[in-house]
Formats: sequence, C-alpha cells, structure tokens
Amino acid sequence: MTQVQVDTPAVLREHAEQAYADELAALAAVDDRPRPPSWRLSPWAVATYVLGGRLADGTVITPKYLGQRRLVEVAISSLATDRALLLLGVPGTAKTWLGEHLAAAVSGSSTLVVQGTAGTQEEALRYGWNYARLLAEGPSREALVPGPVMRAMETGAIARVEELTRIPSDVQDALISILSEKTLPIPELDEEVQARPGFNVIATANNRDKGVNELSSALRRRFNTVVLPLPDTLDQEVEIVRTRVTQLGASLELPADLESLSEIQRVVTVMRELRSGVTTDQRTTIKSPSATLSTAEAISVMTNGLALAAHFGDGVVRADDVAAGLLGAVVKDPVQDRLVWQEYLETVVRNRKEWNDLYRACRDLG
Amino acid sequence: MPVDVYGVRHHGPGSARSVREALEARPPDLLLVEGCPELDGIVHLLGEPDMVPPVAGLVYAVDDPRRATFYPLAHFSPEWVAVRWALARGVPVRFLDLPATHAFALEEAGAPPTREAGDPLATLAAAAGYDDAERWWEDAVEQRHDSPAERFDAIREAMASVREADPRPDDDPGVVGNLRREAWMRKVLRAAVKEQPDARTAVVCGAWHAPALVPEEFPPLSHDRPLVTGLPRTKVAAAWTPWTSARLSYASGYGAGVTAPGWYQHLFDHLSGERPDQRDLATTWLVRVARTLREERLDASTAAVVEAARLAETLSIVRGRPSVGLTELDDAAQSVLCEGSRLPLDLVHSRLVVGEELGSVPDSAPVVPLAADLARQQRSLRLKPSASVQEVDLDLRRPAQLDRSVLLHRLAILGVPWGVPADTGRTTGTFKESWRLEWRPELAVDLVEAGVWGTTVAAAASARAADRAEGSADLAELAGLVGACLTADLPDGVTAVLAALDARAAVQHDVPALLHTVEPLARTCRYGDVRGVDTARVRDVLVATAVRACVGLPMACAGLDEESADVMGTAIDGAQRGLALLEDADLDATWHLALERLSAPEHVAGTVAGRATRILLDAGRLARDDVARRMGRRLSVAAPAPQAAAWLEGFLAGDAVLLVHDPALLGLVDRWLSDVEDAVFEDLLPLVRRTFADFSKAERRTIGERVSRLHGGRADDPAPSLDLDLEQATPAVLAVGRLLGWEVARGGAA
Ligand SMILES: Nc1ncnc2c1ncn2[C@@H]1O[C@H](COP(=O)(O)OP(=O)(O)O)[C@@H](O)[C@H]1O
Ligand SMILES: [Mg+2]
Repeated sequence: MTQVQVDTPAVLREHAEQAYADELAALAAVDDRPRPPSWRLSPWAVATYVLGGRLADGTVITPKYLGQRRLVEVAISSLATDRALLLLGVPGTAKTWLGEHLAAAVSGSSTLVVQGTAGTQEEALRYGWNYARLLAEGPSREALVPGPVMRAMETGAIARVEELTRIPSDVQDALISILSEKTLPIPELDEEVQARPGFNVIATANNRDKGVNELSSALRRRFNTVVLPLPDTLDQEVEIVRTRVTQLGASLELPADLESLSEIQRVVTVMRELRSGVTTDQRTTIKSPSATLSTAEAISVMTNGLALAAHFGDGVVRADDVAAGLLGAVVKDPVQDRLVWQEYLETVVRNRKEWNDLYRACRDLG
Repeated sequence: MPVDVYGVRHHGPGSARSVREALEARPPDLLLVEGCPELDGIVHLLGEPDMVPPVAGLVYAVDDPRRATFYPLAHFSPEWVAVRWALARGVPVRFLDLPATHAFALEEAGAPPTREAGDPLATLAAAAGYDDAERWWEDAVEQRHDSPAERFDAIREAMASVREADPRPDDDPGVVGNLRREAWMRKVLRAAVKEQPDARTAVVCGAWHAPALVPEEFPPLSHDRPLVTGLPRTKVAAAWTPWTSARLSYASGYGAGVTAPGWYQHLFDHLSGERPDQRDLATTWLVRVARTLREERLDASTAAVVEAARLAETLSIVRGRPSVGLTELDDAAQSVLCEGSRLPLDLVHSRLVVGEELGSVPDSAPVVPLAADLARQQRSLRLKPSASVQEVDLDLRRPAQLDRSVLLHRLAILGVPWGVPADTGRTTGTFKESWRLEWRPELAVDLVEAGVWGTTVAAAASARAADRAEGSADLAELAGLVGACLTADLPDGVTAVLAALDARAAVQHDVPALLHTVEPLARTCRYGDVRGVDTARVRDVLVATAVRACVGLPMACAGLDEESADVMGTAIDGAQRGLALLEDADLDATWHLALERLSAPEHVAGTVAGRATRILLDAGRLARDDVARRMGRRLSVAAPAPQAAAWLEGFLAGDAVLLVHDPALLGLVDRWLSDVEDAVFEDLLPLVRRTFADFSKAERRTIGERVSRLHGGRADDPAPSLDLDLEQATPAVLAVGRLLGWEVARGGAA
C-alpha cells in the first residue's frame, strides 16, 4: 500500500527540508528574484540549492546533486513552466535524491510521496475514505482521506511519484487526467478539487525496467523528461562517493578522516569496471554481473566499510572492511554472479600488485 | 576620402546583416575585403547565378599545393553579403590581405603560418557569459546601437581594448605575422585613397584588424615599409570550390570555423525578414526540429513544440540570459521532444544544426590541380563521371582496362570513392573486376580535400597511404593497405606501408593479430603475380611476420579459455590458408614445428590442439598412427568431455572426408561417443552437432554408413540397407545418428 510519510521528529533520516533548513533559510533571505506562484524560492535559488554555491552573505550552500548543471536547470525550468517532470535513469543515479531536494526547495516539503509498486492503487493518487466516518456520517469531506497528490493539489505543492513504471497501467492513467485537467473530481460528493498554482509532479522511473509497465504515450506526453546519467569519469564518480560518504558518515557520527577514504578509488574502480565490462585501461574484457552497480552501491559499500572500521578497527577503511560489501553488491545471483566475481578477482584484481590486500581479503571470503 | 571600416565576425550572420545595412546607408565606391589579392582575378565569378554557397576561395602554392588557404563563404558570411552587394551595383571589389605569394614563401622559408587570431568576438561573448556569440551580437551590439555605423564603432573600440590586453610578447610569431598583414592592408588602403582621393571606401575585415585600419590612426610610413618590402615570392594559383556546411566548421583562412552553420542560416534568414520576432525565432526552429524528428518516425506533436518553446524560454531566464540560444533550444528539444534522450538530437544536429548543404561553382571557374589531373585521366581513359550509377567490368589483361582499374583503386585510397567494387569476393586472383561508378557532387569536395596530399592522383594516393600507415597500429589494416597499394600500382605507397607494417609487427605481442596478417599478405603476393607487380619485398615482410607469430604461438596458446581458443583457432586457420598460397618450404617447416608444440601437449585448449593436429596430418607431418594416438588420448574418458568435443571440432573443422576414409579414426570417435555418459552426452550434443552440421548431407550419409559397417556391416558393401544395420547397431550408432540429425527412432535415414 501507499506510504504517506508523516512529519515526525526524524532522527534516523531527516527529510531534505529539515536537514538543510539552514541553507534554505539563507537562500530565501537573499533571494530577490521573481518566484513562480507558491514557490518558496526563485528558480535561480533552487538551482543554487541543488548545485551548491556561495551566497553574497558568505553562506556556503553544499552541492546536493553532483553532475551536469544543465540537467538540473532543465528540471527546474520544467517545474517552473507547470510541466510535470520525469526523472529517468538506471537505479542509483540519484533520481529519488534529486526529486526530494527539488520538492524541498520549491515547496518546502518533500514528504508528499507516492511509492510506486505493483500494488499501488488509485486511492494513492486520489483519495481514500475513513470508513468508520463514512459509515457513520455518509460521504463527506471529513470522511475523505486525501492522498499525497491530492494534498499537493490543495496546497499548491509538489507531489513525488516514485518508480512510476512499477505502478499498474490502469492506475497510471489516473495521473493523466490530473496532469492535464489539473482537477480531481470527487463524484461521491459531486465536487472537485482544483489544483492551486504551484502544484506539480516529479516522477521517477527506472529505464532498465523497460516493459514492466511502460508508460503510455499519453502519460509520457505530460512529462518533460530528464535522463540522469551514470557519472562519465572515474574522478567524477569518486568525487560523488567521497562527498556523500563524508555527509553520511557525519550524520551517523562516524569519524571519517579523508585519509581513510582512499579506499573509495578502488571501490569505484571495481564498480565501473564490472559495470562497463572492460578494465580501466581498456585492455581486458570482463563479464558484467546481473545487478546494476551504481554509484549508490559504491556509496553504500564505503559507508558500511566506514562503520566496520570505526567500530571494529582503527577508523581507517581498509580492504578488509570493504571486501564483504563488494561481494554483497556484486553477487546477487549466487551462481552466475559468483563466477563473474571469481573471474574478475583472478584475472584483474590479482594482477594488480598494489591491490594485493584487496585480493587476499576478497579471496578469504570465498 | 572617407574610409568605413567594418570589423566583422567571419561567418557571423549578425555581422552580415549589419554590413548590408551599413553599405546601404553609406554606399561605397570601392569595397576592400579581407583575403589575399590572388582572389581579385576570380572575384567576379561570385556574382554569377551558378555560384551557390557554401563555396570557398582556395589559394595554393603551385609547386606545393599542400600549402593552401581556404576562404569559405556561406550565405550568411559578411564577406559574401558585401561582395554580392558590390558586384550587383558595379562597385569594384578587391582583397587587401598580404598576398599569398609572399605568405607562402615566408612559410617556406621557415616563418610560422599566420593564422587569424581565433574568434575574438566569440571570446568577448564568452566573457559576457554567452556560449553563442551570435546571441551576444544580437543583445550587446545590435540591440544597443541603432545605426550600423555605431555598431561597428563599438566593435572597433572593444577590439582596441582586447588588443591592448593581448598577453602575447611582441616577438610572438602570431603577433609578428599579424603586424605584417596589417601593414600590407594599410599599404593597399593608402594606395586606394591616393588613387581616388574623393572616393568612399568600405573595408570588410575581421574585427581584430579593425582598430589597425583607421587612416587617421595609421602609424608613419616608415613603420610599415620594412614589413612589406623585399618579401620572397612563390608561384600561387586561386580557384573557387564547392564547400559543405559541415566543412564550415573547419579552421580556415578566416580563422576558427563555426559549429552551427545551419542554426546561423536560420538566424540570418529569420532576422533578415521583416519585423523579426524573438519568440518566433525559437518556435520556427523547434518546428523544424520536430519535422526532422518526424522524418525519422519519431513522434513530435505541435503541442510538444509549444511546450518545448516555453521550456527554452524559461531556461534562458533561469540561466540569466536575455534571450533564447541554441543551447536552450537543444536542451528543451531533448527534454520535451526526445524523452530525455540525446540520440535523436544528434540526428537533428547533423541534419539541422550543421546542415547538409553542398555549394556549387560555375563551370567557367578554374579548378584545383588534383581535379585537373583527374579530369585529364578521365578523358584519356574514356571514363566519364556521371551522376547516375554505371556498372563497369574490367579485364585486367587489357592494358587500357588495367589502367582504369588502377585509377579507381587510387581514388579509393585517396578517399574519393567514385567507384565501389561490385563483387569484392571474386576479385582476388582473377583477371576480372567489376565496379559501380557514381559521381556525387560531394566528391568534388573530397577531391579538393585530397588535394593536400599531392597534385596528381598517383602522388596524392601514395602520400595518403603512407600517412594512414604512419597513424595505424592495426596490423590487419596495414596488411590490407599493402594490398590496396599494390592493386593501385603505387610502389612508393607499398614501400612506406610495408616499412610501417614491419615496424609495428616487431613490437606486436598479440599472436592472433600477427597471424591475421599472413593471409592478406599472401594473397597480395599472389595477386601481384596476376598483375605483374614485383612482390619480393612483401614476401620478406610476410616471412618475418609469420616467423614472429610462430615463435610466440606456443606461449600464446597456454591457458586459453574457450572464447580465446576460438579466436586463436580462426587466426591459425587464416594463416594456414595464407601459407598454403605461398608454398614456401622453409616457412612451412617453421610453421609445422610451432604447430607440433600445440598438438602434442595435453594442456593446450581442445580447439587449437585439434586444429594443429589436423593441419599436421594434412601436411604429412604426422603419421596416422600418431594422430590416432593423440586423438585417443584427447577422446579418452579421463579427458573432460567438452574439451574432447572442442578437440574434435577443431580437428574436423567442417571437413568430414577424413572420417569417411579412415576407419581407425572413425572408430575412435564412435567409441568415445558410446562411452560418454548419457548425462554428459546430452550436454555435448549441441556442440558435436555443430561440428557435424558443417558437413554436407552426402558426407553425413556416408559417415553414417561407415559407422554402421564398423558394427557389423561389410566394408565392401556399396549400399548397405540402413534399416537393417540400424537394428543391429550398438547405442553408439544411435548416438551418431542423433548427431547427424537423423530421425533414428523411426528407423529411416533422413
Ligand atoms: N550524481 C550524484 N550526485 C549526488 N549524489 C548521488 C549522485 N549519484 C548517486 N548519488 C547518491 O546515490 C544515492 C542513491 O540515489 P537514489 O536517489 O536512491 O537513486 P535512484 O532513485 O536513482 O535509484 C543517494 O545517496 C545519492 O546521494
Ligand atoms: Mg529511487
């Protein structure tokens, strides 16, 4: 079923608008550019929030999304022209992450989310009922439980729809009329909800999932599409992982000195080589495992490694701390992937002298 | 005596429009244009109706056509607009740059070539935050100054400060060269003013030079004179040549090229119209984008065009730009019309943003030397260019026809693909060749471009081949190139390519790559014989390469996985075919020694070892008994079944006759198959089937019959009854039957 995330004093994982409340406030204070109706910030300030920068008053805005500036500009401009935005990409390319931050910066809230699954029902996109009241009082506005999209329409905010292609096609269709008419009829009450200015939708979809529940062309036409790519170069990817691991480490209160992050280079190299099917020097062809080895996987391998090193070691992330994480990320299918991994270990890792420790650590895991 | 100096952006549509306005506002009596004066003699041709841009003025040193300068002109080039304006009104046009006769001679004497200083207006635009210099012109120059004269004054002043801040030292070759050119320009200007003191002169030059060409600010004569007197000379010729939109992006005599000629044309056309509207500019462009996408069957609705236009506009605001540029239009089209994908947009780029225009020049225009040489040969060989496709069959024993073949091969090497071989498969080693000839107008441009390699087809083709060989590390490509040079009768080319091949082969450790050169080189030797060409040197290199491969072979075959074993097997086969053509006893001996070291040991991958064994058997280097012994070991139950199957596949390699004639070997195969466990057999089936699938039906039938006989049939019975034999057969016969694809169960052979 749908999970509507409710504001609680989050400790484990704060929402973007909470975690970066300071930055958002600082931006709002200096932002004197025109804002589209209901926007908390101007498009320029939203772009600065996402891409990072330094404000006139000296406030440093940390970059949230590391990648091509133009993609972020296109995304923001789409929202500003009232067009729904579809973020497309393989898993782990920061679709959810970017969508959350855009919603936080534009509407001040990133919590109006529909989590798309095969079981997502139309109520999630429209509204449900409080059956106790419905039975007691008959259909009324009070008995109606609005879904996240409807709440976004009422408040002129951004609703997020995650994994749009996982939602069954007939349920997807409900979005078409919402996006084109910007109204939501409530036949039971003979009423309708008209979207307030500022209402918009950010959807994410995995373009590897093709064919699961392909978007109908009618729905596709309602969206401007931005494809989020995997990072082009090793350096870019290392930079993304470094930034995110440092941030995550800080929030988990893991002491992460940059020194200990030198392991990132290797982890990212392994991910990129297995992903692309060829070694960095382009000399050796290798097999790719079944799973997408995204930047996000590298981040999680490193964060786990950091935790291991902090709790059971001296705080410096070493081969031993990442080996298990790597194995887990790569081997999703116990037969095929294990072969791929073994072959990679024996033909690539083993031949790199300075990777001896990594080779041994991985081999010891079996 | 007024002189109006119009400093432009070469290929800048905004500059072009301003120049036209300026000429209208103050019509000159003489037009001076940047470019070398060697073009003066043919400038009148620009006024002819068959002269259609893009075209380029080509000025080259007669003795060394590689020394050449191109002056490309598009519809939206300020130079084109100005010259056409003048020619239409009978106003004389001349070029005022340093003559090429001096410029080339100076280069010959070691002075570095003086190129234009990049695109200074684009630099200014970039400094102002624009990635499209034309949008900057629009906003910063056009919108701010009403009269064209004021615009060009502003440009001149801006350039004066840019030049002021030029960080290059005074003795920088670029600075020195530029000073000389500008001294010459002033010399021409002084002469013009002196000649007709009352006339009004307009100068159209790159913005960079504008500050140096204002007569009131000229330096004293004594400053310029030493720079422009006593200069060396060389013989120079000039021609107009068709150009393409794509080639407008190349650097040329007018400095840096432009990357978006199609977009510039759009800007020019749109803004030259009456009451141009900014929003229309974006919409009309996106309409063209949508149409291009639709031609490729990509859905792009009118509603989507409207959305894309809105997005582009918002984007320009988010980016803090005063107007929509190509970048915004691209981004918007990608997001709205292409579902975020870059691929369809790349298509739009080559079709629309760059454009696919091909210009043309009048027949009366002079041609470049390489084209003249080709025209001469086309006449003497009676091989006329035609726009429709012709099929030509050539008999290489007839000298005149051989010459035609040679010409077509040379043009192919040169990258002027007038003829395409019609049946590549059969040409080798025969006396016949078939070609499809089609003269497309772009070939004229290819020809001009090929002109950098030489003035005759033969010399240019040799030089081009040598250059390609220089830059290639791919042995197979080099071996192919040797053959191409031989068929094109280019001895110089052969020598150069062979030298490169020899050098590359010496450092190549990849044995399959070495082996792959053997066959093409051997064919070349054979083909050379057909054409009566001396191939001794090719043979030398071939032998050296083959020996290198033989040395590396045993090591290279240790520990191959299945896939690399297949690659190696293919390479060995190719080399074997090549060596068979060559019939060189010494080389064969070396080859067989290497193969022996693959055949005997048991650790070598099945495919490779089987193949080696077979070649040795066929060459008579291995007795049948030895072969049987090796096969026995390889097909023993102890050996892994897939390896055994691979060995068999390598050994038979699609040729079954052996099994037909050798009952001993057939017996081994049969025994192996019947001993293999049933479960393993199922796994093996597809593999072994593949082996037998290459056989002809007749071969399979014969083998089946022989197998039957092995199990009781009489060897001398010419037509055994299959039904009967199968009934008595052991399970192995059934197995072989299944292998051969028979419906054994029904008791009848297919
Ligand atoms: N280019 C990037 N810039 C910043 N973070 C990134 C980038 N790529 C991946 N990440 C990180 O990867 C993690 C997973 O991203 P997520 O949004 O869940 O991926 P998706 O929704 O595309 O599957 C997030 O922590 C995010 O910060
Ligand atoms: Mg996601």
